[in-house]
Amino acid sequence: MNQFLIALIGGVGTGALYAMLGTGLVVAFRGSGVINLGHGAVAGYAAYVFNELRTSGDLYLPWFDIIPEWGFLRTLRINNIPTRIHVFDFEMYIGKPPLIPTLLLSLAVSVLLGLMMHFLVFRPLRNAPILGKVIGSVGVLLYLDSVIAVNFGGQNRSSSGFWIFKPDMEPVKNFLGLGGTIPRANFSMLYAALVMGLFVFCLYRYTRFGIATRAADENEKGAALLGYSPQLIAGINWVLSSVLAGLAGIVFLHKTQPSLYATLVVGALGAALFGKLTSIPMTVLGGVIIGMMSGGGVQLANNSWWPDWLEIEGVRTFMPLLVIILVLYFQGDKLPIRGSISVGRQPHAPASNNVTIGAIFAVGFALILSNVFVSKWEAVLTTSILATLFMFSLTVIVGYLGQISLAQFSIAGFAAFMMIRFVGDGTLQRPDDYYVITGVNMPTILGFVCAIAAGTLLGLLIGLPALRIRGVQLAVVTMSSVLAIEELLTKSRSLMGEGAASIQPTPSNPSWFGQYIGGFNKETFRTDYWKYSLFLIIITALVGVAVVNLRRGNTGRRFLAIRANERAAAAAGINVKNAKMLGFGISSAIASIAGIMLAYKIPAVQAENFAIFSGLGLLAFVYLGGITTGYGAVVGGLLVAGGMMPEFLGVHFGDVERGMINAVGAVGLILNAIVTGGEGVALLQSDALGKGPLALLRRNPDDDDNSETDEDNATEGASV
Amino acid sequence: MSNILETSGLTVTFGGLNACDKVDLAVPEGKFVGLIGPNGAGKTTFIDAITGYVPTSAGNAVFSGEDIGELKPHERAQRGLVRTFQSLELFEDLSVKDNLLVAGYDTRWYSFLLDMIYMPRKDKDVEEQIEWALEIMGLNDVADAMPSDLSHGRRKLVGVARALAASPKLILLDEPAAGLDTAESQILGGHLREFLDHDMSVFLIDHDMGLVLSVCDYIYVLDFGKIIAEGTPQEIRESDTVKKAYLGEEAGEIQAQAGERMTYNIQGDQGGQDD
Repeated sequence: MNQFLIALIGGVGTGALYAMLGTGLVVAFRGSGVINLGHGAVAGYAAYVFNELRTSGDLYLPWFDIIPEWGFLRTLRINNIPTRIHVFDFEMYIGKPPLIPTLLLSLAVSVLLGLMMHFLVFRPLRNAPILGKVIGSVGVLLYLDSVIAVNFGGQNRSSSGFWIFKPDMEPVKNFLGLGGTIPRANFSMLYAALVMGLFVFCLYRYTRFGIATRAADENEKGAALLGYSPQLIAGINWVLSSVLAGLAGIVFLHKTQPSLYATLVVGALGAALFGKLTSIPMTVLGGVIIGMMSGGGVQLANNSWWPDWLEIEGVRTFMPLLVIILVLYFQGDKLPIRGSISVGRQPHAPASNNVTIGAIFAVGFALILSNVFVSKWEAVLTTSILATLFMFSLTVIVGYLGQISLAQFSIAGFAAFMMIRFVGDGTLQRPDDYYVITGVNMPTILGFVCAIAAGTLLGLLIGLPALRIRGVQLAVVTMSSVLAIEELLTKSRSLMGEGAASIQPTPSNPSWFGQYIGGFNKETFRTDYWKYSLFLIIITALVGVAVVNLRRGNTGRRFLAIRANERAAAAAGINVKNAKMLGFGISSAIASIAGIMLAYKIPAVQAENFAIFSGLGLLAFVYLGGITTGYGAVVGGLLVAGGMMPEFLGVHFGDVERGMINAVGAVGLILNAIVTGGEGVALLQSDALGKGPLALLRRNPDDDDNSETDEDNATEGASV
Repeated sequence: MSNILETSGLTVTFGGLNACDKVDLAVPEGKFVGLIGPNGAGKTTFIDAITGYVPTSAGNAVFSGEDIGELKPHERAQRGLVRTFQSLELFEDLSVKDNLLVAGYDTRWYSFLLDMIYMPRKDKDVEEQIEWALEIMGLNDVADAMPSDLSHGRRKLVGVARALAASPKLILLDEPAAGLDTAESQILGGHLREFLDHDMSVFLIDHDMGLVLSVCDYIYVLDFGKIIAEGTPQEIRESDTVKKAYLGEEAGEIQAQAGERMTYNIQGDQGGQDD
């Protein structure tokens, strides 16, 4: 019992971080009505800047040199964009640069981030539909995460912390007579969270700015009539939110990882929802409670009676999700509705009438480039096609049905691991494999079908909350599910087999109707077997045609009707719940196919293949290509990191380049949300194909609210 | 003749207020029934209640012999109880014709599979119904246009056409004439009685006394949630209760509308500065 209490209290440190980040989330929400999924990444960036200043004296600005050194661009010889300022000279400051200036400089970067988020992302998106706003915050998340990877190399940082936050301080022994030891930093974190919460609470309660924010939060138009500019209020709150995030991130420095910060937003979301996105004291409390639940849950999982299949790390990641689901389920209708009422135009989703021509064209193109004939583009081609195949699942669920699910790529991963399990026969697949996967020894085709069924079931489960909640809240739930799926299911050794937590070997001999269709070429020992390419092209074409046909038929019309107006859809006799489940089912089945096809391609899969940022990156690129059409998925597939477009531009693999491509994708994503409302660069859509490229120029300038902004002009210039 | 819709003691309570108070009302099969009443009388609430959009606190509603109190909105629509909305509520992302197709076709569990291989179910009756709905609402020339490209009045007609496309047994029209210009009003008014020839009964709510008195077979008058009078158009026209409750309010309402316009203008200016 004492041990359990100690574990509970041990979770307070993380809980305090959730509380601090949650406070920043609430501030941004009250200021602008946006739930910023990128809030954790904002904290992470400031923390890295601080750490870098303290270790090398360099200040990294939140962008990277966009003008690459590689490819034909090298010949342009353009001066590089400054990204790094050498601030502190180590000869002047023996040992470490001084703390206070470092801290202030880091927070100055946070201010800059806050201003960038306000002016470059959320202000232009203020009249966008919910999807646009969510995409904007996904863009922030992806951009900052990628820039962290590029600028700071993406390695773990160990830092000694500072002041009262030093992790190596003497721990508190025998706390409250419970016997265990608790790191002193836990208490420091709690103090920090309480001070931060109290500060924001007083700011909102007693200052004119705070009262104006609350007024604008409750009634934007009313506040405007009283002479307060809602946009000014929003801007100040963005800066405040960003600085709070920066402080939280810096305080938490003693255990950073590049992706950890960004995913901490899940706990912060739990805390903020616990405070109903309004109350600061409840948010702080919620954060601490979630932290304690995680600590306590992990302690419980250490017991011998705990079932093996519930992995400890899974329990930890499940707690925030549990709180989020409970709050949304029981309090969902009492949450503030600001920002959740759809305003603005949804991306147009035209029905395509020349599917056959498009499909023949795309398949022909793919075949020509594939190693069915020549083999030069093989690796990038299959990467692009796999991405396109997956993106069709997003076309259905996000584009047609308007349900923002950020968990589809995790479903792909789940299905891939299930397929391996279903066909696993307990023999060593390749001489150098580490693990042997036992399973039900199904034939390849049966395993394929069963794995799709399993993925679909999981998708339906994740879709369940969509019956009650929608818009950004669904995005929050699905994003939180990603980590839980990964830790609880995909990485679970007892569910998925021995290699699940590290490297899971795929079946070495997948064959359909006697034909080996794996991507691994047994002669060249590379993943370039031509039958795989052919198989992948056929499957993708079939799925693509089915998805486009769905839009042409009554199912697609019903989906779009629900996307537009659920009330009216019910009045037209549509069973909204069934239709949503159908959408989740179809989308998850497609995602599962994509995951399984990836597993056929390579000799081993890892849960990291399906990590949250890969999934969000794919969402970014399909949104960039055009989320509502089949063409959009094709274009999006060409653009992804490791795909055709970067290859043509001469960008090769590597974490840094991948980060750059994702960052460019994130910028494109945000611009696309602002400029086209998500219709994407695939403006060569069905009808445009018919009428020729001139149809592009026909766009009505009144469509865009912000047609004077710089970004708008820049992209329009680029796309015409 | 049997009643297609019958409510008895139907009550809807918001907080302490009875928006509909023990409403007893019947729509005979194949008849055109109207419900009138001043602003805030509870007319739209009544439609919301019988279509399942607000919960009723007492009483029941029987639709073609079945108590529909427990049914979800889409189940009521599937049974042929179809409504229009005062506030349009069109499917903005679908063309006019697609708006009608959505309402016209119902689905089976396997429909999506047929859709995937592009073998959509074609039902001659449904197609004819849709053609007729487009025709009668004068929307043939804009069948492929998006609703957002149409005038407010024609959007309103799309809403009515969408309800007609569902081949309803009873169509509930919630102020279909509000916001229509004269020509559009005439299209609507001139064709309303034709609905009856297509196997449906009509229940109309409107402000336009002239329209209601000219097309209805039977009229109910609602005020403060209670039915205060009912009868044939002739009886309603001559009823003193109605004159006092409804027509007396008319002048006040004109003033209220003028006031609303002023507010709107002010808000419009503010919005302009905001951008």
